[in-house]
Amino acid sequence: MFENLDIFRMSHAMARHAGSRQALIAQNMANADTPGYAARDLQPFQAYLETNTADFYPKATRAGHLQGAGANHSHDPRIRHEGQADPNGNSVSIETEMVKAVEVKRQHDRALSIYKHALTVLRSAVSSR
Amino acid sequence: MSEFAKSLDVTASGLKAQAQRLRHLSENIANADTPGFRRKTISFQTEFTAGKGTGRVETGRVRLDQSDLKQVYDPTHPMADKTGHYDGSNVNLVIEIADAREAQRSYEANLKMFEQARQMSSGLMDLLRR
Repeated sequence: MFENLDIFRMSHAMARHAGSRQALIAQNMANADTPGYAARDLQPFQAYLETNTADFYPKATRAGHLQGAGANHSHDPRIRHEGQADPNGNSVSIETEMVKAVEVKRQHDRALSIYKHALTVLRSAVSSR
Repeated sequence: MSEFAKSLDVTASGLKAQAQRLRHLSENIANADTPGFRRKTISFQTEFTAGKGTGRVETGRVRLDQSDLKQVYDPTHPMADKTGHYDGSNVNLVIEIADAREAQRSYEANLKMFEQARQMSSGLMDLLRR
């Protein structure tokens, strides 16, 4: 465990994923009444992990990106829902967004507690008490 | 800008837009009996900065509803024409109230998101505490 601190990297990626997803949900919510706005979302962390097993760091996903570990065009974080839209073309459902928001909050809390707990373990290993 | 700062920013823009919508709605309701008043409508649109969508929402131009004004029969009214009718407003209170409810609902949803982003970022800050 102590040579390779995978758990920190994993919880970091998880919290980060929750943060970006939260930003998208907030964006959807703010645009809940904008005509023609399509709801956006990230894929869940589980699926994200399966497609990015190599590492959790930013990658060059487009030609314009400066650096990164090679292109991975298959992974596009933004999925547009093709569900039923309102007459004005808006596809945001406040209820769905609320449920997703709670999910994201729990994921973020989980990631932070894992991080905190791993830190406690490390600390107790190095402390003299 | 961090994701939390960004979501706070976007949520704040949503709150502002809904509040503005409510303002125009209350203007309409207040002028429901003003002769010749046309109801004001505003549209929402996604903000663009330097050709790039920021995700923030903003209100578009105020437009006047061009539907026909209600004809009110009152021969004693100073503005009445020969037939005894004058132009009322085209405000429909039911539409305004329904719209206000929707604005309130969206406003509350945005407020919830603001609160949640705040909680998540303060949870992150708590990591620094022992």
